[in-house]
Amino acid sequence: MALNSVNKILDFAIEQEEEAARFYTELAAQMASRQMKKVFESFAKEEGQHKAKLIAVKQGKKLLSAKEKITDLKIGDHLIPVKLQSDLTYQQALIVAMKAEKAAFKLYHDLAQSADDAGLKELFLSLAQEEARHKLRFEVEYDEQILIEN
Amino acid sequence: MPVAEKKKLDLNRREMPKQLPEIRRHNFNEVALGYSARAAVEEASRCIQCPKPKCVSNCPVEINIPGFIKAIAENDFARGIKIIKEKNCLPAICGRVCPQEEQCEETCLLQRKGGQIAIGRLERFLADWEAQQGEVELPQMEESSGKKVAVVGGGPAGLTVAGDLIQLGHQVTVFEALHKMGGVLIYGIPEFRLPKAIVSREVNYLKKLGVDIMTDYVVGKTRTVDSLMEEYDAVFVGSGAGLPWFMDIPGENLNGVYSANEYLTRLNLMKGFLFPEYHTPVKTHKRVAVIGGGNVAMDCARSAMRLGAESRIVYRRSRSELPARLEEIENAEEEGVIFEYLTLPLQYIGDENGWVKEMVCQRMQLGDPDASGRRRPVPIEGSETVFPVDAVVCAIGNSPNPLISATTPGLEVGKKGNIVADEETGKTSRERIWAAGDVVTGAATVILAMGAGRKAARSIHEYLTS
Repeated sequence: MALNSVNKILDFAIEQEEEAARFYTELAAQMASRQMKKVFESFAKEEGQHKAKLIAVKQGKKLLSAKEKITDLKIGDHLIPVKLQSDLTYQQALIVAMKAEKAAFKLYHDLAQSADDAGLKELFLSLAQEEARHKLRFEVEYDEQILIEN
Repeated sequence: MPVAEKKKLDLNRREMPKQLPEIRRHNFNEVALGYSARAAVEEASRCIQCPKPKCVSNCPVEINIPGFIKAIAENDFARGIKIIKEKNCLPAICGRVCPQEEQCEETCLLQRKGGQIAIGRLERFLADWEAQQGEVELPQMEESSGKKVAVVGGGPAGLTVAGDLIQLGHQVTVFEALHKMGGVLIYGIPEFRLPKAIVSREVNYLKKLGVDIMTDYVVGKTRTVDSLMEEYDAVFVGSGAGLPWFMDIPGENLNGVYSANEYLTRLNLMKGFLFPEYHTPVKTHKRVAVIGGGNVAMDCARSAMRLGAESRIVYRRSRSELPARLEEIENAEEEGVIFEYLTLPLQYIGDENGWVKEMVCQRMQLGDPDASGRRRPVPIEGSETVFPVDAVVCAIGNSPNPLISATTPGLEVGKKGNIVADEETGKTSRERIWAAGDVVTGAATVILAMGAGRKAARSIHEYLTS
């Protein structure tokens, strides 16, 4: 699908959120422990909320401004990628989420770089900012729950 | 005669003598030396005996603080220790390791004028005074109830539950996984902060009360909780938070990279620093980096220094955010521990034999306050720095060992592996199983574990007698 119109880009972004929700739902099903199932189910729910927001944008609601400043704590950047298995810990779950959101941010950021149309570039950057905000939510959780003494 | 009306406020908090930094950095003996009787009486005499003492409500076990302080001021030390022991069965320990500055002393009325009473030091004084008197008086015991309680874990929560329930007439057996009782008091907190003889003294006291102790007994492996329940009327789980966290950065699998648990256990429980008197030598290092800023990190850094290393704390935030007690930070500074603030390890580099030789770090700066008002560390691009190290100790936190939760069906646990228990009763999702302490809250303080243990003991007693 060529991403050459606002609607096509938003449809693509909605699919990405659906894919992320599917990913977490499948991961939840694989977890051996009940509490980690719940953790990934809650992540899937959050992706569903992101999707709902994008659908609302299609209907006229505004996205974050491309110029909005979102702090990048870069907590996940240097952490070893998690090998997905049935006994993940909460720390590993947050690493999975931080890395996924960072990848999504990078995707939209790269698409913005390659877009010629100023309006579409702006839209990609706005979507990147949305993903940066999602990543920050997980980074703050990691900072408060895992890096308590660091 | 209301004391407060007649006496002029004395804001001169009496200092407790300590070993000099240049001496203590070479030995594992206790740093703080305790008050003399004269200093204790002088300090206690400063207390204005508030009619509504806030120190009591800010103590997790609600010790009658003005009561024992008054007894000291009147030179009646026997009465003082008796008052403490009504609520706290481990005063020699709490007097040393409780964060009093955040609890009882924080709400002392004199704190506003900078002269808060040294409550912890006075508690310690009475406990040590009692120990010097020889035989400790045993409390009056209730008649046997014929009920049996299994206590899993011999740390602060387990010791408290065992002490309370045995006095109430129940038969108590403590199952401890290690070969010595005490939990974090034995394997975690170093000798220079809490002499192990004190912990042994408290454990012996419980034995005298009649508590049965089974060491080297790993509940979840040797026997499950469900199996214990076939023999015991109630089970209390106080197995602590002994599963160390790592940062999950490259190089953590190199030789010379330790968890704080392993490093401290080798020293404190296995007495590695006393080789060959003890048979488990600990490897000495030249340059040790300790990651983290809590009390555990301070313990590791100060231990490394005592073993002859250049010792460095590496902490991601600034001094004012250090979670360790101020007293421990100052002790570490005085002893020569180097503090690398706003510094984050990115990876460890090994030599050709797989031993860590370098640590790559990035400098941080505190960002703008976020919605919660906190300033979080943000990396400074291009600020990577390499430190030569031959050991790294990761002291960033712990969570409960999953052994018990994994082998006890139906026991509800939280997302960080902690057992879910009622805050007021310690009741878990399973009938006849209670839990409290670090296994519920995650790594916290000794006194909080004791306070929660006391509530659980009360609830178990109600269950056993109803």
